[in-house]
Amino acid sequence: MIEIRQTSPLNTVQDLGRFGYRRYGIGTAGAMDGLALAAGNRALGNAQNAAGVEFQLFPATICFQRDAAIALTGADCAATLDDKAIPPWWVLPVREGQTLKLSAPMRGARTYLCVAGGIDVPEVLGSRSTQMRDAFGGLSGRYLSAGDVLSAGPHAAFRFRDSFGFGIEPPESALTPNLHDWAGENEVVLRVILASEAPQFDDASLKAFKTASWTITAQSNRMGYRLAGPTLRRPDPTEMRSQAIVQGVVQVPPSGQPIVQLADGNSAGGYPKIAYILQSDLWRLAQSTPGRTLRFSVVSLDDASRARQQVSQYLNELARFSSHCRMQVGR
Amino acid sequence: MSGRIAILAEPRVTHCGDQGLLLEAEGDLALPTQERIWALNDRVLEWPGVLDTQPGMNSLLVLLDPDESDLVESADKLLRAWKECRSATRRGQLLEIGVVYGGEGGLDLPDVARYHGLAIEDVVKLHSDAEYTIFAPGTGPGFGYLFGLNRRLFIPRRNVPVMRKVGGVVSMAGAQAMLGVPRKPSGADVSPTGWHVIGRAPDAPMPFDVARDPMSIVSLGDRIRFRVERIER
Repeated sequence: MIEIRQTSPLNTVQDLGRFGYRRYGIGTAGAMDGLALAAGNRALGNAQNAAGVEFQLFPATICFQRDAAIALTGADCAATLDDKAIPPWWVLPVREGQTLKLSAPMRGARTYLCVAGGIDVPEVLGSRSTQMRDAFGGLSGRYLSAGDVLSAGPHAAFRFRDSFGFGIEPPESALTPNLHDWAGENEVVLRVILASEAPQFDDASLKAFKTASWTITAQSNRMGYRLAGPTLRRPDPTEMRSQAIVQGVVQVPPSGQPIVQLADGNSAGGYPKIAYILQSDLWRLAQSTPGRTLRFSVVSLDDASRARQQVSQYLNELARFSSHCRMQVGR
Repeated sequence: MSGRIAILAEPRVTHCGDQGLLLEAEGDLALPTQERIWALNDRVLEWPGVLDTQPGMNSLLVLLDPDESDLVESADKLLRAWKECRSATRRGQLLEIGVVYGGEGGLDLPDVARYHGLAIEDVVKLHSDAEYTIFAPGTGPGFGYLFGLNRRLFIPRRNVPVMRKVGGVVSMAGAQAMLGVPRKPSGADVSPTGWHVIGRAPDAPMPFDVARDPMSIVSLGDRIRFRVERIER
């Protein structure tokens, strides 16, 4: 049992998202940084898709009412357990009565708390993700608030070889950063595949899309990120029919400033699309806060497939290493 | 604002990044085409490696598990399946919805009339004379995107979205019409839209509720008629 003692709004229970209900217009929801959630789960021996808590507004205080095993992944939020510092990307045992505190990250945007067995909320339409728009899934379809109690699902008992727990390698160091000719040291490079309306933009706009630095504006959240940069022009503004859209699509409304649709974004829309961010890179965007700048690097479907292989290799290695750090008991 | 609507001479399948495929049908926005889209949708759902599907206006999104399906092969397969797909007539239930046109709930009605050089009464008549078909799911669970808007009312989306009150919103954009869900007690009062809001349906039922069986009271292919309650100025 995990008691939320203190929390800011906007923190929710999420798994890797809801699929199979788009016929009702229900979007995916799910963790913004699905890779951090998946890594935390694999480190604990959970199913990759088990639910965890996504923290995106701090501070938060959590009290454990039972012994448990947890993983903290995603942004480094200077976590402490009973006032002792816990490194980021750490997997550890916690005891009944211990208190975990999370503070606003210096870098990154979202921290994930995974627990052995996963957060046990009812599955709604095939997922435990909170669907804020229609208020279902997660914990009663809403943000967590002080006093909420979450429980962990059943799991095979294990002990840690080292009572301090163990660290796992964050994707930031395990996966090679993307390259871009113009990117500065602190810029995030996102790989994209051009979308069907890309040729409708004028040459200068297409070039600007690929070379310019894009700033994440304050109007950026789980629904989507609005970017600021050069104005992208589509000389012949034919009206589009509304189409179903996916996470990571980069749309260009008539203002010429791109919008990236994300986890809680619309499931359909009619703005022209210039590109799609690779799924393998969405975690980089999810961990980027307003004010940071981005570059887009256009890649091929083959590059996308290699990127996916790297991600799954990373997760498999992390799971193999983690299984060494845990010992099955009672078998 | 050119107001022209993109029409493809040939159907096409394009990649949605590495996540899926989008099939866009050829020709004018039409009901028989959408009936084929629905038929294709049912068929594609049976394919291995398909995570989810979602019809759009004469289009179909197919989300694929890239580890289980080759995106390039699947694109060919989808285009072939579309060409073979026959239309199956689906005549759903008819809902009649009362609308208060104009006034505070339909702020954009005068502008829409001005844009078309029509009297407000004419816009209301053209809008309420038509029968609409629920073509595709909307931006979230609800009454979906409606087909059936009179050609004389086609109007481009706004360049800059405006804030409009939510709750039973009756609106239009391009060749499409929409009926918004009633305002939820916990939800926002206003929301941004690039569409033109011409009225409000005060008694529109809540179309979707995850706790209800069935969850949705409407299906693709259902029809909606708007009844004029009154015109406010």
